[in-house]
Amino acid sequence: MDIGDPYIIIDNVSYRYPGTKCYALKELNLTIYKGEFVAILGEHLAGKSTFCQLLNGIIPNFKGGRMEGSVIVGGLDTQEVSVAELAQKVGIVLQDPEAQLFTTKVLSEVAFGPENLCLDVEEILERIKWALEVVHLTGFEERPPTSLSGGQKQRLAIAAALAMRPEVLVLDEATTQLDPVGTLEVFSVVRELNEKYGMTIVMATHKSDEVAQFADRVLILHRGRLIAQGTPQEVFGKAELLRRATIRPPQVSQLATYLEERSLHLSEFPITIEQAKRGIERLFNGETSR
Amino acid sequence: MDFPIEYYPGRSFFHRLDPRAKLVFLLFFTVVIAAIQHIYVVVAVFLTVIALWCLAGLPLRTMGGYLRMWGGLMAFLFVVHAIMHPGEVVLINPLIPPFVPLIGGRGSVTKEGILFAFTITVRQLALISILPLVSMTTPIHLFALGLVRFGLPYQLAYTITTALNMIPVLQAELRIIMDAQRLRAFGTFEKGNPIARMKAYPLLVTPLVIGAMRRAQLSAVAMESRGFGAKGKRTYIEDITFKPKDWVFICLTTLYCLAALLVNFLG
Amino acid sequence: MRNPAIKLENLTYIYQPYGVVALEDVSFEVGEGEFVAVIGQNGSGKTTLLKNIVGLLKPTQGRVLVEGLDTRRSTVAELSRWVGLVLQNPDQQLFAQTVEEEIAFGPRNLNLPDTEVASRVEEAMAMLGLEPFRREFPLALSIGDRARVVIASVLAMRPRIILLDEPTMGQDYRGHHQIMGVAGQLHGEGHTIVIATHHVDLVAEYAQRVIVLCGGRILLDDTPAAVFSQPEVLRRTHIAPPQITQLAQALPSYLGLPRDALTVAELGEAVLEKVKIKRSLPRRS
Repeated sequence: MDIGDPYIIIDNVSYRYPGTKCYALKELNLTIYKGEFVAILGEHLAGKSTFCQLLNGIIPNFKGGRMEGSVIVGGLDTQEVSVAELAQKVGIVLQDPEAQLFTTKVLSEVAFGPENLCLDVEEILERIKWALEVVHLTGFEERPPTSLSGGQKQRLAIAAALAMRPEVLVLDEATTQLDPVGTLEVFSVVRELNEKYGMTIVMATHKSDEVAQFADRVLILHRGRLIAQGTPQEVFGKAELLRRATIRPPQVSQLATYLEERSLHLSEFPITIEQAKRGIERLFNGETSR
Repeated sequence: MDFPIEYYPGRSFFHRLDPRAKLVFLLFFTVVIAAIQHIYVVVAVFLTVIALWCLAGLPLRTMGGYLRMWGGLMAFLFVVHAIMHPGEVVLINPLIPPFVPLIGGRGSVTKEGILFAFTITVRQLALISILPLVSMTTPIHLFALGLVRFGLPYQLAYTITTALNMIPVLQAELRIIMDAQRLRAFGTFEKGNPIARMKAYPLLVTPLVIGAMRRAQLSAVAMESRGFGAKGKRTYIEDITFKPKDWVFICLTTLYCLAALLVNFLG
Repeated sequence: MRNPAIKLENLTYIYQPYGVVALEDVSFEVGEGEFVAVIGQNGSGKTTLLKNIVGLLKPTQGRVLVEGLDTRRSTVAELSRWVGLVLQNPDQQLFAQTVEEEIAFGPRNLNLPDTEVASRVEEAMAMLGLEPFRREFPLALSIGDRARVVIASVLAMRPRIILLDEPTMGQDYRGHHQIMGVAGQLHGEGHTIVIATHHVDLVAEYAQRVIVLCGGRILLDDTPAAVFSQPEVLRRTHIAPPQITQLAQALPSYLGLPRDALTVAELGEAVLEKVKIKRSLPRRS
């Protein structure tokens, strides 16, 4: 994916929730570029959700608390502008499929956002059509959200966010509660959004196997700090760091690390099955041609 | 048994009425039912509500289950009213000795008492049956729109309807919580006496309320993130317009209510 | 002849009034002390199966025997002495004001004397590492801790069989291994464990036996190695073997590496072995 200009600039941000002493995020400095697919990994309570909610202004505008530093999204300072305005730049999908769907049919769910923006009915219907197409839920307009599978619900949530026509889509552990089928559905849609529609994606997740394939950049959060960032290749090779942050890299990466710790090195550090296969084959073939 | 709130799809005339007409119906009927006391009027109104329920295509099974849910309370109130209401024609006579404070000297079940209790009970049943009639025939976003067109700010309307929408969710939660308790050999809600059940309610309420609060918080974040509360005149892709049949319905409702009141207070 | 811990005979379960057939003609036995994982996509019948075993649901057809007891003729409370179930969402299984009270809830309902209740609470807390939280409000703890409190609460009933429905839901990597570690520990102490999950790498690492459900029927019932060597069959229920096993299966057979490797260590060791052998062979000149 072609990476463009900086779109989100996080400048020395620290944040703590109202009524708490401990900082949930500490001295975060980061730029996210247009068209990037950024994955955020971190153990429970490392700050992934907090980070996600920084991006659309929910933090600090809706949740209060104390924020230092600034977050600029598409030229707008999140502390100066309303969440409603930022919602047109950054869409968010939450972890719980049930809590974020609250209407009686798919059509109304996707319409909810644009209706709030007071757009024309034709414009709204256009957006709904497009959004449902992108997430492959065309034809589901009259279905009640409660009748959908987990994967379908999360795709609906994505459509509802897309109807706001954001530049960036943030997914806060959107696949954590889904089974493998649902997870795959969501990842396919997200990947298509990034590759085909050029949307910037920020995805907080535990599922390192999937992000290894699709992410341009991986960020590791630990206790509110950004302790590593880089390509999946770079990051998943940092075994000690991952251990400290209790992050599980893809098993094929774990294998490479296992071998490295016993003085056996693969030619490239694998993050996918294909790469691991090549690496091991070369290892064996390399041996015989010595 | 479930509290019937959730939308039950259908094409009956009731479904197709404008939500505002239904809200007017709800208001008028509530007032009338609360006011009437004459036994014939009460029974007639109750039967009308049942008839409307059937005409709306709503399953009688749901009505039955709903009423059964209130059964225990109703039976209790029936007995209380029957005993406490003063009357002449004594039918059963377990008189409470006069020295008992407050209720001494009473306690005989009279014909008047039974009629009174019956009237009150049927009245309660009618009262609790009209909200489901409206909520089950109106999709939640149209319900909200009806409130908005009546002048309620849309944030308030949506808050009300989202709360109503939570009821089926909470019911499902409640069933699971009770299952979890059965798994720990706790059978009070199945077989326990009313006093034990009352004592045990905090056990149900705690997880339910906390779960509801968590869910409400998440919903609020989701709604905010989709521009809820943005300034300006909100659009509604599905609008509601008053048609002649809505006016007819409101007229009929008004006439019916006036008639009921007249008969009640003059008959 | 000892009764098997769990015996299902032609179990069929249909959700009324929808008429959804969640389980169809399922039969199998679980022996005392086994560690079984039940896998399958959402909707394949895993939760329905566990609820039938514990008596929350009664079979539409067929029967379920737990330690010889027919679930149709026993109440959930009666069965809870033998089999415990940890449901998916901890928040729906926590009722008390303190962790201690929560764990004591079950034993108290069994009408055990106070001393017995107290000792069981201590034991369960110790096993799950919950002593530091004893006076905490359970619903305020972190998700991993809440899950452990529920497990401790079920454990305090001392059932011989413990069923867990997606116990790692919503948790991170550390949480997953903590929970599975507890399950392993309980297994080591003699409990029969049945876990419904879709985390295949955890299954590969911890389970002795895997039952694969698809559309309410049993697709496979075998060791993890045997089950994960059949990816084409697993595909029918949209399950893929653990990534490491997929790698092992993708590697050409001339390398002589085990195609049913279940863990990183297993494949890693095999690679090291082979390379060591190659390195120790005399070079051809």
